[in-house]
Amino acid sequence: MAQEVTKKQALLRMAGFGVASAAIYGAVFQHANALTEMFSRGGVYAAMPIATVFLVSYVHGGFASNLWSALGITAKSPAKTAQPAKTKRPEVRATLNA
Amino acid sequence: MDVALDSLKFIDLTTSSIIFLFIVGFIGGLVSGFIGSGGAFVLTPGMMSLGVPGTVAVASNMCHKFPKALVGAIKRFRYGQVDIKLGLVLAASAGVGVQVGIRIQNIILEAWGQAGSNLYVSLSFVAVLVLVGSYVFYDAVKSSRGSGADETPALARRLQKIELWPMMTFKTANLRISLWFTLPVGFATGMLAATIAVGGFIGVPGMIYVLGAGGLVASATELVIAFAMGLGGTINWAMHGMVDIRLTLIILAGSLLGVQLGAIGTTLVREVMIKIVMGSIMLIVAVSRALALPKYLAQLGLMDISPERVSLMDQTSFVIMCVALTLGAVIILGAMYKAIRANAKQAAQEAYTQA
Repeated sequence: MAQEVTKKQALLRMAGFGVASAAIYGAVFQHANALTEMFSRGGVYAAMPIATVFLVSYVHGGFASNLWSALGITAKSPAKTAQPAKTKRPEVRATLNA
Repeated sequence: MDVALDSLKFIDLTTSSIIFLFIVGFIGGLVSGFIGSGGAFVLTPGMMSLGVPGTVAVASNMCHKFPKALVGAIKRFRYGQVDIKLGLVLAASAGVGVQVGIRIQNIILEAWGQAGSNLYVSLSFVAVLVLVGSYVFYDAVKSSRGSGADETPALARRLQKIELWPMMTFKTANLRISLWFTLPVGFATGMLAATIAVGGFIGVPGMIYVLGAGGLVASATELVIAFAMGLGGTINWAMHGMVDIRLTLIILAGSLLGVQLGAIGTTLVREVMIKIVMGSIMLIVAVSRALALPKYLAQLGLMDISPERVSLMDQTSFVIMCVALTLGAVIILGAMYKAIRANAKQAAQEAYTQA
């Protein structure tokens, strides 16, 4: 998880995801008109914008997450679960009902 | 090879419009990551003010909304705040609400035309935001004066006691309630999403006050509903070829940064801050939409008002909407900054004590 990585690891990951994100954005905007026209043809072409935003959400999302970690902005209580507290069952003891 | 785009459907992008979309995307993402929704109500009119046709603006906004909600939901799931089961149950009834909302819109459009439809949308905005926003804000002020911890509201406590088959247990939300009581909350969320594009303004308060979930879990779970509804809506719009991928990607570049920061913020500040931000935004947006009402009343011949005044009110309405979103972001960032400083101070004190 992102919260468990050190700042150095976050910085490295941020650089990796950042380069990948820049490459995707660069590629799309290099051919912006052609892709916009193709993605808006409708029908089965609908899969293209949807696949693209899924890819961007993974790559650019990875960059964003590691950027905040590298800047030291991290969650206060990572992996906090709001599960109800488990109570310990009382031990079974033999009782004599005399 | 350069392809010429249909100028009626796709605008020419300028540096200023790219910067505008990126910044609004970031602020919208920040608010969404924190309160579970928001941003869409500024993005759609914002894009339209750049010359983007209404349907392309709605479609491109929706196409950025669901991946943003997905990233926010994953982040907040890691913090143990998302009740996936509750999100999916509500998303199912929200889907029905969306269909009914669209049907009502079409009926109004056929009967009273575009002005009637716009009036209905604005009236829904004002009515829902004033009613729900006032209560959320009142509750936030009340809670902030107390311990700030969430207590189960009286209505939710009563509903949870009614044993009506089928009963459902939501572990992360830590509640058990009949499926029948989740249906109106999901349905209303979907209807509002279809009408004003921000279902979370009903979804989050509904989860808190009707079902009894805490503010943290409700706002995080709303992201699951937003993802499901956003994906469904995007498939529909994309099949009609209405998504402008350039606009979507620019907004997404900002909103993915914002949504993660907002999600981190929820772990740093007091839970009551979620209600404060949500209540403030809802009430300011209500004022903004109220200013749009005279224009539509005039178009329907129900009110007499000069075009200059209508234009002024339109501009003021948009500025107030931007103010609402910016204020939300300022409250979130301010609260986060204070919390980070307090944590650093506490850590320094502990280190000094140990030394």
